[in-house]
Amino acid sequence: MRTQRYRRHDLIDWFSQDEVSAARIAVVGAGAVGNEVVKNLALLGVGGIDVFDFDEVEAHNLTRSILLRESDAGRNKAEAVAERARDIDPNIRVRAVPGDFWDTLSLRALQGYDCIVAAVDNFEARLRLNQMCLITGVNLVNAGLDSRWASVESFPYGSVEDAACYECTLPDSAYARIAERYSCGGLRRRARIERRIPTTAVTASIAGALAASVALRFGEEDAPTRSRRTLVDTLGGTAGTVSIERREGCPGCDAHRDAAQVIRTRNCWVRPEGAAAMDGSVLDQPLRLSDALIASYECAACGPLEDSARYLNHRADEFDDSIATCPVCAAPTVRVGIRDTFALGELIERFGRRPVPAKFALAEMDGRLVCFDFEEDTGP
Amino acid sequence: MSQEIKLYVRTADQTRRAELDLDPGSTGADIIQAAVDNWALPADTDYTLVNTTTGRALAPGESLSKVARPGDVLEVQPVLVAG
Repeated sequence: MRTQRYRRHDLIDWFSQDEVSAARIAVVGAGAVGNEVVKNLALLGVGGIDVFDFDEVEAHNLTRSILLRESDAGRNKAEAVAERARDIDPNIRVRAVPGDFWDTLSLRALQGYDCIVAAVDNFEARLRLNQMCLITGVNLVNAGLDSRWASVESFPYGSVEDAACYECTLPDSAYARIAERYSCGGLRRRARIERRIPTTAVTASIAGALAASVALRFGEEDAPTRSRRTLVDTLGGTAGTVSIERREGCPGCDAHRDAAQVIRTRNCWVRPEGAAAMDGSVLDQPLRLSDALIASYECAACGPLEDSARYLNHRADEFDDSIATCPVCAAPTVRVGIRDTFALGELIERFGRRPVPAKFALAEMDGRLVCFDFEEDTGP
Repeated sequence: MSQEIKLYVRTADQTRRAELDLDPGSTGADIIQAAVDNWALPADTDYTLVNTTTGRALAPGESLSKVARPGDVLEVQPVLVAG
C-alpha cells in the first residue's frame, strides 16, 4: 500500500519521496494554520511530525481547522490534530505534545528536527521559537494570517550562519504590544482584554500550504541562502516575496553572530571544587536565563514581607500584577524586583541544589556564546 | 543640508499611494507612522516596510539613504500575528 500511495509523487521530477519521508518537522500551534500545515505534511508523507499545543478545541475553531470535528470539543488540539493526521497516512509517525512548548520542547529535542513551523498566535511565542532556533541552528518557518492576508517567512538558520532572524524587521510597536501584557517588567496584567484577530479558512489554507512547501524547501535545489518573506493578498490575488537582511544591533540575533555552543547540563547548582574553586572569577560569571525571575519582593512601607518566599526565585510570568499590592498595608507599594541576569555565585546562593526555573542560560565565555541547556529530554 | 529623495509609498492592498520627497535620514518607522496617521490605517495592526523595487524588507530603524534610491516604491505591509 505504501508504494502505491506515493506513485503520483514519484512522477514529479523535483520531488523526492525518500527525502520527504525522512523529514522530521515540528509544528508549534494546532490552530487554523497548524491544522493546514499538518494536513499538508501528512498528505505529502512527511515521516515525522510532532504537533505542539496547550489549548483545547472550541466550537469557533471549527470554521477553519480542517482536522477538527465537533466531537473534538474540549480535547487538546495537538492530540485531536495528530489523531486525524495519522488517519490520513498510517505510514507516518505523528506525535501530539500537549502543553506549552516552552515547557515541553527542549533545545536538545529541537536539534532533532529539520524545521520548526511557528503556527502560533502571538509575538511572545514567536520570539521564543526564534530564540530557540537561533541557538540550535534549526530552520524556522513562521506563518501568520488575518482575514485577508497570509504571510510565510523562512529563516534558514541551519544552512546560513548569518541569516536574518524574525526580529530583524519586527517593528517597535510589536514590542510595545508585548509590554502591554506585562507590568513591573514581567508580571502579567490583570483584566486585560486580549485582541482577537479574525481569520478564515481561505487565508489559513494558503498560509498552511505555503508554510509546508517552504518547510520542505520545495523547488530549491540548493540550500537557501537568505531569509525571505512571502505575503499573499487573498482578496486581490497577488503575492510578493522579499528578502530579509540581518539588522545591526538586532535584539534577536545580534548576540548570535556565531552559532552558540549548546552544553547540556544538570539543573543543579553547587560551588565549584578543585582548581575552579580557586578562581573566584568563575562565580562572577554572568548568566542570562531564558526566563525572568523575581529577585526581590519587599513593601516600600512595611519592609520585608512574610510571604515573600512564595514569589522569590520563581518565574515572574507565573504571577500577575496583583502581587504588587502589599498583603499587610493593602497599598500598591510592593517593589517586585525582576531580572533575568545573575552571577553564577548568586544562583548557587539562591538555589543550592534546587533547579532554577528556567529553560536555559546564556553566557559569553572567552568571546563565545555558550548555552547551558537545563532541560529534561522531551524529544522525538 | 542633505538632498531629499523622491519615493513612492503605498499600502499593501495598493488602495493608498503617495509620491513623497523624503529626508534621506528618515527611517522605515517614520514612514510607517506617517502612513498610519495620514491614511488612518488600523492602529491595532503592526506594520513593516518593504522596498518592492529592490525586493528587500527594511529594518525599522534603517535610514532610507541606505536602502532606497529615487523612484523606489516602498510598501507598508501588515505584520501578521494570528495563527
